[in-house]
Amino acid sequence: MIRKEIINYSLRNLVHKKSRSILTIFSILIGITAIFIFISFGLGLYNYVNDFKTSSSADKITVMPKGMSAPGMDESFALTDKDISAIEKTSGVYQATGLYSKVAEVKQSSIIRYVFLLGFDPDKPLIMELSNVKVIEGRMLKSGDDGKVILGYNYRIENKIFSKAYSLNDEIEIQGKKLKIIGFMQEVGSPQDDSQIYTTTDFLPSLYPVAKVNYAMAVARVDISNIKQVVENVEKELRKERGLEEGKEDFFVQSFQEMLDTYATALNVIIYFVVLIALVSVIVSAINTANTMVTSVLERVKEIGVIKSIGARNSEIFFIFLFESGFLGFVGGVIGVIIGFNFTLVTGAFLAKLGWSFLAPSYSVYLFLGCILFATLTGAISGAVPAYQASKIRPVDALRYE
Amino acid sequence: MNPGLIELKEVAKYYHMGESIVKAVDGMNIKVHDGDFVAIMGSSGSGKSTAMNLVGSLDLATKGDIYLDGINIETLDESDLAQIRGKKIGFIFQQFNLIPNLTAKENVMLPMMFQGVSADDRSSRAEKLLKLVELSDRMDHYPGQLSGGEQQRVAIARALANDPDVILADEPTGNLDTKTGEKVMAFLEDFNKKGKTIIMVTHDPKLAHEHAKIIYQIKDGKVERKLKKVNKKWKPFR
Repeated sequence: MIRKEIINYSLRNLVHKKSRSILTIFSILIGITAIFIFISFGLGLYNYVNDFKTSSSADKITVMPKGMSAPGMDESFALTDKDISAIEKTSGVYQATGLYSKVAEVKQSSIIRYVFLLGFDPDKPLIMELSNVKVIEGRMLKSGDDGKVILGYNYRIENKIFSKAYSLNDEIEIQGKKLKIIGFMQEVGSPQDDSQIYTTTDFLPSLYPVAKVNYAMAVARVDISNIKQVVENVEKELRKERGLEEGKEDFFVQSFQEMLDTYATALNVIIYFVVLIALVSVIVSAINTANTMVTSVLERVKEIGVIKSIGARNSEIFFIFLFESGFLGFVGGVIGVIIGFNFTLVTGAFLAKLGWSFLAPSYSVYLFLGCILFATLTGAISGAVPAYQASKIRPVDALRYE
Repeated sequence: MNPGLIELKEVAKYYHMGESIVKAVDGMNIKVHDGDFVAIMGSSGSGKSTAMNLVGSLDLATKGDIYLDGINIETLDESDLAQIRGKKIGFIFQQFNLIPNLTAKENVMLPMMFQGVSADDRSSRAEKLLKLVELSDRMDHYPGQLSGGEQQRVAIARALANDPDVILADEPTGNLDTKTGEKVMAFLEDFNKKGKTIIMVTHDPKLAHEHAKIIYQIKDGKVERKLKKVNKKWKPFR
């Protein structure tokens, strides 16, 4: 029989043993806080990846130089217009376009910064669909936009790239030429992407008069239903076009889908790993709770004898101890979730400030309820065994216990 | 013949101590009637404590039968036994055994809680009982704030909480000085006059002779002598 009075009796015990109760709650809340933090960030990363999967990026493939260097850094690799048209003619490919990617010198007063300058064909803005970033202020580039650029998000903010922020229609000095700002990109969440500058493929070569500018990579929109086959076809056509043997390619073709899958798999491993670590800390706190409960039972054997002799049933004694441990778990869970939530809010804001906004925590009602339920169950289960033993002590033995 | 409120029939209690068996109680017959004031007397090691545990149904016998109000307690499960114990028997212990984190009043209310008495009734009855043992002004004190005599009077009030038929007192004055002990005994005698059955376990012949009406003298796990007070004189009876 579970009665309000018995719950009250348990609560009185917990209050009476204040420091012990607080320590037990503390040991539980550490585990729950850790789990909450790990899962909310894991969930955030998972959502970030999932957003990409369902986005316009999914039907794209990229062709890049083989090796470690970033597109545009390796001058020895070049994709020509012939290569691009070979890609475009491959079966399964709907559209292909080449991209320039160069390091550009940007100057404000006496300060010089080197950033990536991306040139794309405004009639085939596949790179924009791939990266899934949109213009948030001003307008997109269109063909014939000579001397005009779109800037990454961070140029709008003071003291981020330059001390002074830029605004729409301002001029910015790139490669020694003053160019007009016609738009800003939305925030991506990584410092490199948010400092990128965009212009057209027609205009970009005029900023580099000395050397011939080649495409650093190609992007193509393809038939997604058979993406593996399309990737193979493109490889075959490019080999033929560039006169290379199989296995000796200086380029590699990657579907975005494939890349995301790899990324997601790696991410899942990380998520499982951090949850595992959090689980270990929960197990440790469960053992600690069990330890507390066992000690608490041993300490109160005589009391158990007394309340048995004045009419307490086994079930009532079981419930008293089970409730005590479950309640400690519940309180630990609630406090743990509150601390975890605040911690993720603060660190999330801090990471966003650093430009790592893709590392944003994500919450769901299930995360909150799940953590609290989990803590309560952990407490209750770790208390169940000593509670059961306590209820089974015979009154005569309990009363004799000192 | 009147079945008696509590009856032990050829009861034995054996303990295993390593290889050997200790016969704490061996063939004991005790019969307590409604309204009796019984003293179970014996020196330490005589088996009187074991006898008390059996009488109070805190322990089960190895052999023989124990009847509580006509019911063989062997036939009851642990829960029913706890309920009957809570209703029919009020315990007074040598160590008082109050719950330290509850106030005097809450201690007295506790047995009623396990019988499902409503909170209001528990509260008013506890106040009444504490008034009876002259502790009205100590109701909200914790056991640690009370003297030994006061604690034992709280324990008496607690024993009376469910209006039991029997009060079972184990060395009730053992931890008290003579004067406080007298006061506790005066309460017990008073309750006996009002119709409560008292069973007191003691090693002290003086205490037994002064207050009880019937004495069971225990030795080596058996009843050695049964005495009854008739016209202020002690006479053996069968």
